[in-house]
Amino acid sequence: MTLLIAGALLLLAALGAPLFALIAAIALLGFGASGQPGTAVAIEFYRLADMPALIAIPLFTLAGYLLAESQAPRRLVRLTNALFGWLPGGLAIVSICACAFFTAFTGATGVTLVALGAVLYPAMRQARYEERFSLGLLTSAGSLGLLLAPSMPLILYGVVAQQFHTTPPVAIDALFKAGLLPSLLMIVLLSAYSAWHSRGLPRPERAARGELWAAIKDAAWELPLPFVILIGIYAHFLAPSEAAAATTLYVLIVTVLIRREIGFAELPRVIREAMLLVGAILIVLGFSLALTNWLIDADVPESLFGWLQASISSKLGFLLVLNAFLLVFGMLLEGFPAIIILVPLVLPIALHYGVDPVHLGIIFLANLQIGIFLPPAGMNLFIASARFHRPATTIIRACLPFYAILLLCVLIITYWPWLSLVLVR
Amino acid sequence: MNAVRLQRGFASALVWIDRIEKWLLTILVLILVLLAGGQILLRNLFGGGISWADPFLRTLVVWTAMLGALAAVRDDKHIAVDVLQRFLPAGAQRIARIVTLLFAAVVCAAMAWYSIAFVGIDFATPANAVSDGVPGIAPWVLESILPVGFGLMALRFLLRAFSPPAHAAALLHDPADIPAVNAP
Repeated sequence: MTLLIAGALLLLAALGAPLFALIAAIALLGFGASGQPGTAVAIEFYRLADMPALIAIPLFTLAGYLLAESQAPRRLVRLTNALFGWLPGGLAIVSICACAFFTAFTGATGVTLVALGAVLYPAMRQARYEERFSLGLLTSAGSLGLLLAPSMPLILYGVVAQQFHTTPPVAIDALFKAGLLPSLLMIVLLSAYSAWHSRGLPRPERAARGELWAAIKDAAWELPLPFVILIGIYAHFLAPSEAAAATTLYVLIVTVLIRREIGFAELPRVIREAMLLVGAILIVLGFSLALTNWLIDADVPESLFGWLQASISSKLGFLLVLNAFLLVFGMLLEGFPAIIILVPLVLPIALHYGVDPVHLGIIFLANLQIGIFLPPAGMNLFIASARFHRPATTIIRACLPFYAILLLCVLIITYWPWLSLVLVR
Repeated sequence: MNAVRLQRGFASALVWIDRIEKWLLTILVLILVLLAGGQILLRNLFGGGISWADPFLRTLVVWTAMLGALAAVRDDKHIAVDVLQRFLPAGAQRIARIVTLLFAAVVCAAMAWYSIAFVGIDFATPANAVSDGVPGIAPWVLESILPVGFGLMALRFLLRAFSPPAHAAALLHDPADIPAVNAP
């Protein structure tokens, strides 16, 4: 009977049933099997209202969507271009930095790809970057900011991991600090490759001082944002949820009232778009709260650990298997649901193997970041294919060198915990 | 004749639900931003915030999430693993859509049912409410978004199951079929 139900659910999953409905069904069946009424699932779901950290998620997402709808991407590109455009591979480096900054804000890699790809792809082609290089770079840079504060997946990992009351605890600001150096590693390696790759291209003149100043003035309203977040959080002035509230209120006032790039009539549409993403994620989270409780009651992580330990005894071996596992699931599930579903299973096991829970979060996201555009099912391949009007197979070929670079980064991040933990512990 | 009128009434009711949902979402999100932002100003400038703001904000997150999830049903934006779907022929895709969305409708209907029981518990004995409330608002009122949200989601999944998809599933080899992505 159990096998039959599991088979039916797997089939439904493969056919594209909404993930939250599958998790809800498992939770309802699981609670039922252990004699608890379905009402308990509703009560567990409502625990969403008891998580103060969660408020940062709708707030930062809205801020990101407002920025994406405004002219901020264009101004950001202008400013980074004035700063780095004269370097070898300058425009490529501009793309990398702008994408990382943007994804850090929205957490939605697809939005970055669509919003910035529209500006950057024509610019790169005009500056005579190869088509293949440009496609690969932009597709892989789309997910680059996931490890940078205040990205939503980092917050989500923190929220889920806090359910387990680990020692040391997984504070969200600790995750923000931990993600900094690994992000820089990826940005630097990708930039170095870009500079090397485009060494033959004519280098544009260093921007005149006037242009740099004009670009700074142009972006004057957006410039305080990174500082509010970075200083606020890294210097402990603001809790992450407070930084989110301050940022969003500020962005709302600037884009709607001061710059007026989003009209009042458009606001409901932008809000709806942002909350659609938030709702789709939080409903999965709500049911997985119920499911997690059931999994722990049923000792599932413990039995998984026992089963794993029989074949994998070392921490390094475990991490290697984890990398492969996360790449595949990151590809199938995208970043957010992968965190919600896999963290409750993986975190208890990783603790047994002696992995630091904050380091685990960084490993998680670094892998998911690649999974998002990994063939054959990575979502961003299809978004890039639609955005740039090229077949997905062309995009995959274009991404090959970038997979190699980012995989190298993931291995470094995984096996060198110092990089993630030096700013935290 | 009556059937036509009924159908028309039903359609206009749906339009109204969509409209109310969109405006409610906008208003709640604006309250969320203003209250959360205002709370920081109050706390840092005047040393004290509004005491009921925090539980109220946490409830607002659930309300906006439920309304967002409801909107996601209409746009077919719920997170799903659609690997297999890409490789199915058109007819099979239609059947897969009906089966999976009906499944989601049943699950939502069940959750609406259990949420009514949950809200009923706190309605009967507000003193031992499961969630902490906001002064002046009974916990069951705050929790009522669960049965309402899941109920409307069940209804909408039922309707969506038999409507054409909002966006075609992207195929691996044929970019000509992929509609341009609407910049969200």
